[in-house]
Amino acid sequence: MLTRSRALAGFAAAAIAAFAAAAASADDITIGADLPLSGPNAQYGDIFSQGANLAIADVNADHMLSKTLVMDYEDSQALPQPGVVAANKLVSVVRVPYMLSAFTSVSKAIAPVAERSKTVAVNGGGVGPDLAELGDYFWNVIPLANYEVRAMVPYLVSERKLKRFVLVYVDDPLGDAILKELQTELPKVGGELAGALKIPRDAEQFAGIAARAREAKPEVIYIASFGAQQSQIIKQFRDNGVSQLIVSYSGFDIPAIKQEPEAKGALYTSQRMDWESNDPVTKRFVTEFKAKYGKAPNYYAANYYNAVMLFAILAQGLEKKGEAITGENLLKERKAVGTFNLVGGKTEFQANGSVIMPMQINEVDGKDGHIVH
Amino acid sequence: MLFLQLLVNGIQVGALYALTAVGFSLIFGSTRIFHVAHGATFTLAGYVFYELYSVAGAPWIAALAAATAGAGIFGVLVDRFVYAPIQRHEGSFFTVFVASFGITIVVQNLVGTAFGRGFVSISSPLSRSVELAPGLYAPPTAAISVLAAVVCFVGLHFFLTRTHVGMALRALSENPDLVRVFGLDPRRLSSYAFALGSLLVVPGALLTGATAGLSPALGNHVMLISLAATIVGGVGSLRGAACGGLLLGLAENLALWQLDPQWSEAVTFVVLFLFIVFRPAGFFGRVATQ
Repeated sequence: MLTRSRALAGFAAAAIAAFAAAAASADDITIGADLPLSGPNAQYGDIFSQGANLAIADVNADHMLSKTLVMDYEDSQALPQPGVVAANKLVSVVRVPYMLSAFTSVSKAIAPVAERSKTVAVNGGGVGPDLAELGDYFWNVIPLANYEVRAMVPYLVSERKLKRFVLVYVDDPLGDAILKELQTELPKVGGELAGALKIPRDAEQFAGIAARAREAKPEVIYIASFGAQQSQIIKQFRDNGVSQLIVSYSGFDIPAIKQEPEAKGALYTSQRMDWESNDPVTKRFVTEFKAKYGKAPNYYAANYYNAVMLFAILAQGLEKKGEAITGENLLKERKAVGTFNLVGGKTEFQANGSVIMPMQINEVDGKDGHIVH
Repeated sequence: MLFLQLLVNGIQVGALYALTAVGFSLIFGSTRIFHVAHGATFTLAGYVFYELYSVAGAPWIAALAAATAGAGIFGVLVDRFVYAPIQRHEGSFFTVFVASFGITIVVQNLVGTAFGRGFVSISSPLSRSVELAPGLYAPPTAAISVLAAVVCFVGLHFFLTRTHVGMALRALSENPDLVRVFGLDPRRLSSYAFALGSLLVVPGALLTGATAGLSPALGNHVMLISLAATIVGGVGSLRGAACGGLLLGLAENLALWQLDPQWSEAVTFVVLFLFIVFRPAGFFGRVATQ
């Protein structure tokens, strides 16, 4: 007879068996990803993981490493506290030597965990300039926002003759960093920051903020936010009589913005990436991404592909030397090698673990966007 | 002119807050169930309308009917199949709250999986502002919001005062035991409360979808405002919840006149705290006596 205790025991046994089967085996090399998998910024996590998963598949298909490379995803929700919880799990429980990170606030929160445990954390999405100063074990494969603002501001002031800016920025290290950059860069080229409107991360109503922005009589509205909030700001600003040029940083490079009718004509900066390049690494990535996902790749996907590939290249080097794949050894190997063939071409790391790349300015055109500068 | 603009924005937002707050207050007042999943109802109604009208191209009236039916059915199903079993087994208030919270999380993730986790909006020319005077913009949705709120409240008032079910709901909120003595079924009345309360979120959901847009996590903010408005207005008072919602919408927008935008949402909760401290019964709430 099936008693309650027998049923419970059977269920527990099945759960343990399922858990054991799902866990990575000793034949795998596991790296981690502390990305937003839920919440209002989950769409970024989808994009980041597309690039990362493609790289994992390529690393394994090419047998770059002696074992199968496996990714352990944990959900940061794009928030610092869940991000730290996820990072601690990756470091202390899963014991990864290398993990992917995203979002300035999350990256700043997990950097001490990475430093303390000598685990490499690689960011391919956050752009706050502070991310260049988070220690030896925090690397960036994306150019940071200071370079983005320095590319946009001179173009708008000198070429488009637009001098009066209003900044709408999220209450986050990213927003604060872009405010600081605009305050520094605008006066250098004869521009002016006529207003700076700080908004909460979870704000959804922007009609009143549009009224405040209109009051300042700007020629340009610079939006420094991320995720769904960017789309909401653009729509509500346009619906509420704000007709000025809208510009932003690479955070606009997501399908939600590219396809939003109200975003048409908006400008945003990004790292320069020639998708038509014949460089074999870039060509392979573009071809495989289109085949797997049915759409053109974007910079974020490329950055996280690069982040995983970077690990594979470093780990391959360590295996050849017979050294263990640890964070310390990965750092030493990166410093020894210095330049890597990644998507976009040769990528050189600076001493602080960041990269400098040429920038471009893109215009939202309702399709995939096009380069204007 | 900025003050006038913010006043117009506040009235529009306040009307929508009032609708969702009254729905929550009706459910809580009648059934004493802390229906956190009220925000999930709001999200579902918005997405059903969006999918049918904006994606499938159905006529707006059909999409509205589907969103309304969906909201009502969801509310009743949650009551019948989640809250009722918990209450039958003498589950505590906290158990029901946790169950309701769990439903919110599940719905948020299901919506995200089904419709994507990014932002979507119900595209409509009604959300585009018209310049009424230099520096004063108002979209047609502002007038529609106020009109919808007035129509819903007049209809609700008629229903609660002139129909047997409405009077029974009012009796249920006063004394559930006495309702049984009179041969009425509190469980069935509870379903009516959930259906009616859930229907009230539909205008707010559609208008929010057209003006601010939709995202899977939208319901959380709606729930917070509904709760705050219910307390400000007085627990058990529908008139109070409506006034509370309108007050919070106005406060949120008028705060922008002098304060930085990052403080506008905080002002909502400052208003709430002031009421809790100085007038805990709210605008029209009844002081409980033992």
